[in-house]
Amino acid sequence: MTESLHIRPPLLRVENLRTYFYSQVKRAFARSVDGVDLDVERGETLGIVGESGSGKSVTMLSAVGLVTAGPGVITGKVTFHDEAPLDLLQGLDSNVEIKHRNGRIMHIAKDNQAWQKQADRNLRGVRGGKISMIFQNPRAALNPFETVGKQIAESVRLHTGMKSAVQAKERALYWLEQVHIDSPRLRYDNHPYGLSGGMSQRAMIAMALAAEPRMLIADEPTTGLDATIQARIVDLLDDLKSRLGMTMVLISHDIGVISRLSNRIAVMYGGRVMETGPSAEVLDESADGHPYTRALLASTPRRENITASGHLPAIEGDVLDTINVPCGCRFRERCQRINDTVRTRCETIEPELFEITPGRRIRCWLYSPQ
Amino acid sequence: MSQPLLEVIELRKHFYQRRGLLDALTREADARIIPAVDGVSFSLHENETLGLVGESGCGKTTTGKAILKLMSMNGGKILYQSTDITAYTPAQFRPLRRDIQMIFQDLDAALNPKICIADTLREAIRVREPDANAAAVQSQIYELLDLVNLKKNKLSNFPSELSGGEKRRIGIARVLAVRPKLIVADEPTSALDVSIQAQVINLLRDLQAQFGLSFLFISHDLQLVELMSHRVAVMYLGQIVEMGPAKEIANTPRHPYTSVLWSSIVEKRSMEVPSGAGPNAWGVFDFERPSGGCRFAPRCPIYAQRGRPIECTDPDFPPMLKPTNQGHMVACHFPL
Repeated sequence: MTESLHIRPPLLRVENLRTYFYSQVKRAFARSVDGVDLDVERGETLGIVGESGSGKSVTMLSAVGLVTAGPGVITGKVTFHDEAPLDLLQGLDSNVEIKHRNGRIMHIAKDNQAWQKQADRNLRGVRGGKISMIFQNPRAALNPFETVGKQIAESVRLHTGMKSAVQAKERALYWLEQVHIDSPRLRYDNHPYGLSGGMSQRAMIAMALAAEPRMLIADEPTTGLDATIQARIVDLLDDLKSRLGMTMVLISHDIGVISRLSNRIAVMYGGRVMETGPSAEVLDESADGHPYTRALLASTPRRENITASGHLPAIEGDVLDTINVPCGCRFRERCQRINDTVRTRCETIEPELFEITPGRRIRCWLYSPQ
Repeated sequence: MSQPLLEVIELRKHFYQRRGLLDALTREADARIIPAVDGVSFSLHENETLGLVGESGCGKTTTGKAILKLMSMNGGKILYQSTDITAYTPAQFRPLRRDIQMIFQDLDAALNPKICIADTLREAIRVREPDANAAAVQSQIYELLDLVNLKKNKLSNFPSELSGGEKRRIGIARVLAVRPKLIVADEPTSALDVSIQAQVINLLRDLQAQFGLSFLFISHDLQLVELMSHRVAVMYLGQIVEMGPAKEIANTPRHPYTSVLWSSIVEKRSMEVPSGAGPNAWGVFDFERPSGGCRFAPRCPIYAQRGRPIECTDPDFPPMLKPTNQGHMVACHFPL
């Protein structure tokens, strides 16, 4: 009884995260992530979907301290709640000095070294061990001078209690087997260049899992792979998810991949979450939803989406320029469902995420309760 | 049926893998031949789109480049409007460059970064009409921009100032400037976002309707190919394994590879791809190609199910592209 009353906080909570990059040329901030709130519950898979420049990757990279690019600012709160809550962005602000004049940012001074030091201190023991990441390009993530097996064994020894080399090797072989690599004993001694694209992607997944993380962040894990291999990687992640009960954040522009793997979905546009909810509801094409999500679903090349004139319903206009963010709703210039009753609000005030059903929230004036 | 616009007969292109010094000393010194395109034949009619699909490394792009003579060939023939252009010298081929154009995959490499959009288009128009006066050229530039739905204020911009979708449109506008009949579109939308991709696809379809263009549409995106094309050719390791009307290829594939390929569209998958395939089921792309017989056999679910029939690996009996019904061809001993 007491168990059920005691609600555990989400594993990762992102509150009002803002990541701005300063463009020296344009003397302005690119607001890549502009006030994002996300919760990742234990055991669930959260899919973050969005087009390029929507801030989906930068959100998660900021959360695990992998955004280091020169003069940029990260504010907000990222709490990782494993045994005790841990603020991953603690104390970073003190290393940045911003000078304003007439409300415009005139100068930024950032102590990069101190920033990095603080970020590393915050993330000690978290990165790799508690939160692992897999990237789009496995070739860049694997060390080309070391055999794949040794890299996985190293991950085992660093992040789990296993310290003996023999034990670590056995464990590495186990993980190679888990990701369905044939004859793991032979592949253990392969260098990354000796593996095909799909195989190095799986080796990287094995390396991430070998640390036995609480949470896995997969950033475009299937992009750039052939359809047949892509399907297998998705099957593999699906299988691992159910077998290991892993908490996962999946970042992709491919709605197909997201829909297969996620329990919950966050749709991002121009640095903001536009819609969140259970994946079945968000992706249900017959149901209601945010105009952007609907338009995105309709524009994917599928036979059902073709109109009578033989066209795909495209979203007119271009993806949002995060330097000159318009006031009001970010999507309004491309929105096809904007009407006269909401137009003035759309053009002047940015909507909040309105809760329409429990767990389903939409950032659009059409769904405003008033 | 009328004469096809383009006919490709038994096209072959081999690459040579050079061996290192150590290999040369220890083993035979000759280079290893990789048959990237190995006997590809197809024809393309006016106002038709032929989709070319396959996994990376199957020779789709090489085929496209060979048609434009951007790459030499090791064998086969290319007929354009029933004229054999295989042996044309670059000078002979030059007039045909106007008719046959290519849209390249890489947006940034296709446009000169130091030339503004207006000059890029002007240069292309001058190719077709070297003597046109400035005013006529200018009006044509506006027409082209109109065709690809771009605003006039972009004309003074440089490629780096454009978004991906705009760059792609300029690329298309430039190709249209010479009024081509045949466009080889190599992954025209792979670098674009979904919402922008739909715009470009619509544009290409409109242009085809307006000018009667023929497209050779090369892509790895199966759903896109299915939508864009009238007919689809599926390539596997340098050979066409199945060719037919787009709808039939997608709905009732006859070749096991086509079936595996289409069932691996992530969205459609609720079930497992026919398993029980050999060790290469993971699509390990290996240059050690099967020495004889069907190239797909090591990955083929049917081959495994039927208990490895001897025909499939018989080097004297490779599966040939045979018609199954109207306009549908398949290269398999045991079509589905």
